[in-house]
This record gives sequence, structure tokens and C-alpha cells, in this order.
Amino acid sequence: MSEHTSTTNGHGDHGHGDHGHSGHHVIPQAKLLQTFFVLMGLMIATVVAARLPYEGGVKGIPSAIAWLVLLGIAFWKAGLVVQIFMGVKYSTKLTKLYAYGGFFWVTLLGVTLFDYATRQLEPVQGWEPVAESALPR
Amino acid sequence: MSSTVIEQAVEREEPAAPKKNYLNADHTIKSWLLTGDHKRIAVLYLISVTFFFFLGGLAAAFIRAELTSPMGTLLNSETYNKMFSAHGIIMIFFFLVAAIPAVLGNFLIPLMIGARDLAFPRLNLASWYVFMLGGLLFIIALIMGGVDAGWTFYTPLSSLYSQTQITLALVGLFLAGFSSIMTGVNFIATIHKMRAPGMTWFRLPLYVWSHYATSIIVILGTPVVAITLLLVALERGLRIGIFSPELGGDPVLFQHMFWFYSHPAVYIMLLPGMGIISEIMACFSRRPVFGYKFVAFSSMAIAGLGFLVWGHHMYVSSQSVYQGIIFSLISFLVAVPSAIKVFNWSLTMWKGSVIFSTPMIYALGFLGLFTIGGLTGLYLSAIGTDIHLTGTYFIVAHFHYVMVGGTVMAFLGGLHFWWPKMFGRMYSEFWGRVSAIVVFVGFNFTFFPQFILGYLGMPRRYHYYYIAPEWQIYNVLSTAGSTVLGIGFLMPVFYLLKSLKSGPIAGPNPWGATGLEWEAASSPPITLNFEGMPKVVGPVYNYDAIEDSESYRREMKEKVTK
Amino acid sequence: MPEVYPQFEDIDQQQETYIVGMWAFLVNEVMFFGPLFFIYGLYAWKHNAVFYVTSHHLDYKIGALNTTILLISSWMVAMAVHYHQKNQLKKVCNMLWGAAVCGTLFLAIKLIFEWAPKFSHGLFPNPGFQSRYLAYYGADTNVDVARLFFSMYFAITGLHALHVLIGVLIFVWLIRLIKKRPDVITDYVPTEMVGLYWHFVDLVWIFLFPLFYLMPK
Ligand code: HEM
Ligand SMILES: [Cu+2]
Repeated sequence: MSEHTSTTNGHGDHGHGDHGHSGHHVIPQAKLLQTFFVLMGLMIATVVAARLPYEGGVKGIPSAIAWLVLLGIAFWKAGLVVQIFMGVKYSTKLTKLYAYGGFFWVTLLGVTLFDYATRQLEPVQGWEPVAESALPR
Repeated sequence: MSSTVIEQAVEREEPAAPKKNYLNADHTIKSWLLTGDHKRIAVLYLISVTFFFFLGGLAAAFIRAELTSPMGTLLNSETYNKMFSAHGIIMIFFFLVAAIPAVLGNFLIPLMIGARDLAFPRLNLASWYVFMLGGLLFIIALIMGGVDAGWTFYTPLSSLYSQTQITLALVGLFLAGFSSIMTGVNFIATIHKMRAPGMTWFRLPLYVWSHYATSIIVILGTPVVAITLLLVALERGLRIGIFSPELGGDPVLFQHMFWFYSHPAVYIMLLPGMGIISEIMACFSRRPVFGYKFVAFSSMAIAGLGFLVWGHHMYVSSQSVYQGIIFSLISFLVAVPSAIKVFNWSLTMWKGSVIFSTPMIYALGFLGLFTIGGLTGLYLSAIGTDIHLTGTYFIVAHFHYVMVGGTVMAFLGGLHFWWPKMFGRMYSEFWGRVSAIVVFVGFNFTFFPQFILGYLGMPRRYHYYYIAPEWQIYNVLSTAGSTVLGIGFLMPVFYLLKSLKSGPIAGPNPWGATGLEWEAASSPPITLNFEGMPKVVGPVYNYDAIEDSESYRREMKEKVTK
Repeated sequence: MPEVYPQFEDIDQQQETYIVGMWAFLVNEVMFFGPLFFIYGLYAWKHNAVFYVTSHHLDYKIGALNTTILLISSWMVAMAVHYHQKNQLKKVCNMLWGAAVCGTLFLAIKLIFEWAPKFSHGLFPNPGFQSRYLAYYGADTNVDVARLFFSMYFAITGLHALHVLIGVLIFVWLIRLIKKRPDVITDYVPTEMVGLYWHFVDLVWIFLFPLFYLMPK
């Protein structure tokens, strides 16, 4: 369409200079070292948290909290590695999209849990969970 | 006439093949087997998938022959099981998943976006080798006795009970999966980063959009099935028990993991075909695709929503009904973007100047057959009807309407459309149209009776039906149709090969189509695709200008009817 | 001057393309490990009591040690990228060597202190698992489910170890290239890509460690 010929060179986002060299960001040594120590600290924290005697319940703390703590720390650590070590924090939007998109998408597998969680609710007789060795039904 | 300004003008008048092009740049076998050129790799893939297509077709011929009689005619039950398994596995994993992306996608994406090659040529070549290795393993598995668990490999049959060559086959499929992941990664990087100056996202041909969506599905889905199949292989070898109730595991979990990939996989097979249809429709209606953005975004919507409907394959697999209800709902939703495309293609033709060339006949066939396939998908998405129809020939008919009526028709249409670009020569338009019509007619005779059979309750994957001999008439009809269909598929082999030798020289743009691959590259293209760096300054599908030019129409009509 | 392959316009485009390709591959890797973690999680939820008992047949101290080793290696790889960006090649190689040694150490510990004893006790998924388990631990829990635990344990740690092994080999290969082929390694992008891969390997372990070794009841 000749009306459109006035369009300037579009911007295929392929870096003909129209685009910061975000990949070149140099993460300072101090930041990397600090991240490492935080990660170590979190690792120790997670071990300690897991060794607490939840079995009898620490003053009534149910094990669900232990799970939350462990997973929370794991996600925290993962976040640090992704953001700092892998440099996603300093990278292009595209990289961020892929990085976070990938981790988001994998959680969709969890939709399956809904199946397992709701099987018991079915109003059909004889479909109760069987032996301990098998999943319900 | 052109929206595309090319720094170096290409000759338009003299249709002569360029002296040096990617085909004759080098002649040794080694230069083919070690090539990094996306066009040569596409040709390698074309030969491979054609081989697998006819191998799978052979298995289908046995199946159809067997079903002509309620008591079977030539196979015993084990062999029959192996036949339909081989047919399904070859056609899905070694033909449909690879066919359009690895052949036409490989060839065209760099040409369409104005790049000299894909981002990672060596990865591209590696993907072909991995594909061939996977195919080889599967063929070895066939020679050693075959596989009898169907293409879906349901556990615990596939993991604990079947005595056939499943482990080997699974390793083969694992490799084929990796090959498609390599292609997907390559496409994503290429489409993101290697577009020519001015080739913005909304100037991309819809074909490229659909490949982008496909590649996203590939990298998000294929690894899931790869690891799942690996676990099944381990279960066979080591009895790890994850999917086997006897060992404490859960077979339904296998189905979840399998369909998490395999429903999106049907879109891996279909989306590239839809891309082809957009191109053909625009070119032979001489109009821009109606509602470009809708078509582009519907591809992405399909890619996203396609991941949320896998449970519709499991309504009767003891999945919780509550989850079934949700999956049913989303399955209805996923039909919406597909329908958007169908409406937009129809509106593209409306008031267009439709030319019934070979690719267009294939595309029209696609439109009709895919619509039937998609609509019957809705019958199956409704839990109530599915409980009657699941596991019957209705399913078989449904997915053949989408996969053969959709993908294979699109593949053939695309092959005919870009054949002059790939090899620089025209095929016989007469025989092309005959083949397109034969395929369409044969297809309907083959698969429409299967809807009726399914409705009457004939189960899939059984070869005896003496309990209901009245089904024989439909089965005979179907087998007769499949013979016609087979002839239709064989015909292109002859006239396309013949065209390589004696076809008229095509010239860079025999169809008067828009797009960098036609306007900026010769036919066949040179090794690095373009003489200069193409620059894009206007939208794609710039067909308005030529729409009402009577002379163009006449010229094309003449060309086409010749 | 860095080498630009013919399909690219300039070095910036080439580098950005590599990074996009690498991330696409990593997304694929996430989805590759994802189902394993998911399946483990599902069974751990359904058979919580059994998995709790069984998971205590793993030694969390070894797990913690290996976590530390991997974290150190991850930091070293990040430093290698840092030095490469500043073009201090000697230090890059040192850091990569360090990471390779860590990776090897990780594998050695895994093999010698974890897998070997498990194998010698027959505590890996195999047809004779049931009797071996009973012989070794007694009937402390449901053995079928215990097998599931060990199946998942070996599947995930095995796949992870395979990734570590590949990573170590890539480190050695990269060091060789940096030293011998300055025409191939002309900038930091290859190191960055190897680094991304290695951090991903670390990420897997970050989840693996608490889920397997520290399971709460
Ligand atoms: C319009 C959207 C679609 C919907 C709503 C839909 C729905 C369904 C449903 C509900 C089933 C399960 C039937 C059963 O097993 O009881 C099914 C099966 C199937 N569909 Fe579709 N479908 C659609 C499009 C497609 C497309 C585009 C393809 C392939 C290109 C496809 C290929 C298949 C295959 C291969 C099966 C059978 C799988 C097997 O059990 O072997 N479908 N479809
Ligand atoms: Cu489906």
C-alpha cells in the first residue's frame, strides 16, 4: 500500500542499534558474592527448619507450615539464582518473558491435582479409595 | 504493485532460473549431508517425511483390507494391533509433526522474514539426523516384530504386559521429539531476532505467526511427553512402577502426562497447516487475509488454550467428573479461535477474485474438511455425547478429518504452492487439479462412512465385527474410498518428479503473490536467499492493487487452465 | 574482532539470537523436569506418611553438602561470566575449572556415598525390590509405595546427574576453546550460555534437595 511507504524502517527487534545492549550488563562481584552468601544462609535455614520436630507439632504447628517454609525458601533461592546469577533482572523484556513464562507454564501440570482432589467427591458408590498402596480408585 | 522495496531489483520479465542457486551450488553427496543451508535441509526432510508417509500409508492399506470382512481377511489379531500401532505412530510422530514445520517451515521462514538462514544452521542439520535416527530405531522395532500398544502407549499395557518392541520404539519417539524441539528453538530464535529491517511483527506473513505459535507449543509440550515416554521405557526395564497399579502407581497419571502434550500436539500438526491456508487463500483470492490480527492472535490463543483441554481425552478414564466438566468447557472455547480462522478465510474469498489453481483447490478442501473435523470435535467435547462416541469409529473419523483433511491437505496445498519456489519449475496444472479433486473425493468416501460406523457403535482398534455384520457395507465403502485416496496421494509423486526434469521454468513469482520469498528471491533461491538485504516498508498481503486488474486475472486463468 | 556467521547482520544480532535460543532451550528443560517433580509431588501428597518414612533413608547431610558444592560452582560460573565480560581470560578459565571440579565432586559424592550403598542394598527400582527392602529396613512402611519413592528419587537425581555430567564436559570443552581457539570464542556469550545452563542445573537441585531430603511429615 503506497500510503504506507512513509513508514520508517520498522523495528524488527533484532538490534540494528535500536536496542540497548542489555546483555552486556556486568553484574558487580560484590553482588554475586552477596547472593552466594544469602543462598548459603537460606540453605542452612531450610535444613534447620526441616529438622524442627514437627511430628509432635511444635506447639501445634502442623506440617503444612513446614511444607510452606521449605517450598518458600526453595522458591526464594530459585528466584535469586534466576534474577542475579542468570541475570534475568538485568535482561531484556523478551528474556524475562521466556524465563518467567517457562516457570509459570510448568505449574499448569498442577491442573491435574484438581482431578485427584475431587475424585473422592464423586457421588458414585464403590469408588472410594482402595488399599493404601494405590491412589484413590 | 509491490509493497516491498528491494535494494536490488530482481528480474521480473525473463523467467530464467538463476545460474547459481541452492540446488546446484554444490553437487557432492557430502555437500547435501553436511549442509547448513535451511533449504537443503528442507529438501532432506521432504524426502524423509515422504518416505514415512508412504510407509504409514502401507500399514493403513493393510488395516482397510482387513476390515472389508466382519471376520477379517488376512491378519491375525496380534498383527492387526501392530498394524494400527505402526500406522498411528509413523503418521503422527514421523510424518505430521515434522511435515510442515521441518519441510515448508524450514524452507520458508528465513525467506519470508528476510533472513539469510535460520539462526542455528548446525542445530537444524542435527535435528534432521536425530529425526532420522529416531525413525531408524522405530523401523528396527518394526522389523523386530513391531509394537502393539497403539500410538497412545497407555499403561500398564505398554509398560508391563506388552511383549513387543515398545522400549525401542519409545527411544525412537524420544529422539523424534528432540528433533522437533531443536526445530522449535531454532524457529523461535529466528523469528524473534532475524527479521529484515521493517519486518515488524504485524507485517509478518500469517504463516510465520502460525509457526511461532507452533514452536511455542513444541518447547512447552514436547519435553513433557518425552520424559513421560522415558518413564514408561524405564518401567518396562526396571519396573519402577510409577504408572502401573500393580506396583502402586497410577495409570491415569500417565494419561494426564501424555495428553498434556498430545492435545497441544494436534495443534502442532494443525497450526502450520492453517498458516499455509492463509497464504494460499490470500494469493488466489487476490485479497489480503481478512482480519489479519484476528488470525494472528487466534494462533496464539490456540497455542495457549490448547494446553488446557487435555482432559477431554479422559472422560471415561476415571478422571474426576468435576475436572471433566471444566475440560469440556475449555474444549468448547478452544474451538472459537479455530472458527475465527475459518470465518476469516471465507471472508477473504468473499468479493475476491478466486482462481481455482491446484493449491487453491487443496485449500478449499481444507476449509470444508477441517470445518467438519472441528465441529465433530465439539460433539466429542460434550461429555454426554462423548460417553457414547468415545472409543468408536467416530473418533477415528473426527481426527482424520482434522489431520488428513486438515493437515495433509494443507501440506499438499503448500507443497504445490511453493514447489515452483523450491525447485524453480512448474508442474502440470491439469494433473495437479485432478489429484486435488481425487484426494478430496477419496477422502470423503473413506472417512465419512466412519462417522456413521461410530454412531452405530463400531469400536476402534478391533478387527472383527461379526456381532454386527450390517457394518460391512460402510467398511467396504471406506476401503474403496481409501483406494481412491491412495491413488490421489500417489499422483503428485509422479507429476512433481516429472516437473523437476521437464517442467516449464517458473520464474521468481509465477503466482503473482506477495511476500519476500516471491518478490525478493529467485526461484530457486540462491544459497544466502537474497542478493541484497531486503527492506520492508508496507504491510503483507498487498493484493488490493491488483485485485480488479482484469488482465492479471485473464493471464492467471490462462496459466492455470493450461 | 568477533566472528559473525553469514546468517547474521552483525555481532549484536548474533549474540541476542543466541541468548533467545538458549532461553527457549531452558524453557524446554523446565518442562522436561517439570513432570518428574509433579509426579513426585503428587505421590508425596497422596502417600505422605510412607514417603516421610522412606525419605529418611536418605542422608540429608550429604544432600546439604552437595547443595553447598553446587552453590559454590554456580557462583564460580557467574564469576566466570563476570570476568569474561571484563575480558580477563585467565580468571575465566580458573573459575570454570573450579566449577568443573565442583561438578565432579558432586557426582563423586552422589555416586560413592548415596547411589553405591543404595545399589548394594538393592534399594533401586528392580523386580526384587520388595524383598531387599524388607530385608534391609524391615516392614517399616508400605513397600510398594517405598518403591515409588526410590523410583522417583533415581529418576530425578539420575537425570540431574546426567545434566551435571554434561555440564562438566562442556566446562572442559569451553576452557580448551578459550585457550586454544581465540577465533571461536571471541566474546563472553558462549560462557554466558554455558553459565545459564549450569544455573539451571543448580535450580533443579534447589528444589530437589528439600523435596527429597528434608521432607516434613
Ligand atoms: C476444534 C477443536 C477440537 C476439539 C474440540 C476436539 C475434541 C476432541 C475430543 C473431545 C476428543 C476425544 C474423543 C475421545 O477420545 O472420546 C478428540 C480426539 C482426537 N482429536 Fe480432536 N478436537 C479438536 C481438534 C482436533 C485437531 C485440530 C486435531 C488434529 C490435528 C485433533 C485430533 C484428535 C485426535 C488424534 C484424537 C484421538 C486421540 C486418540 O484417542 O487416539 N482434534 N478431539
Ligand atoms: Cu484433544
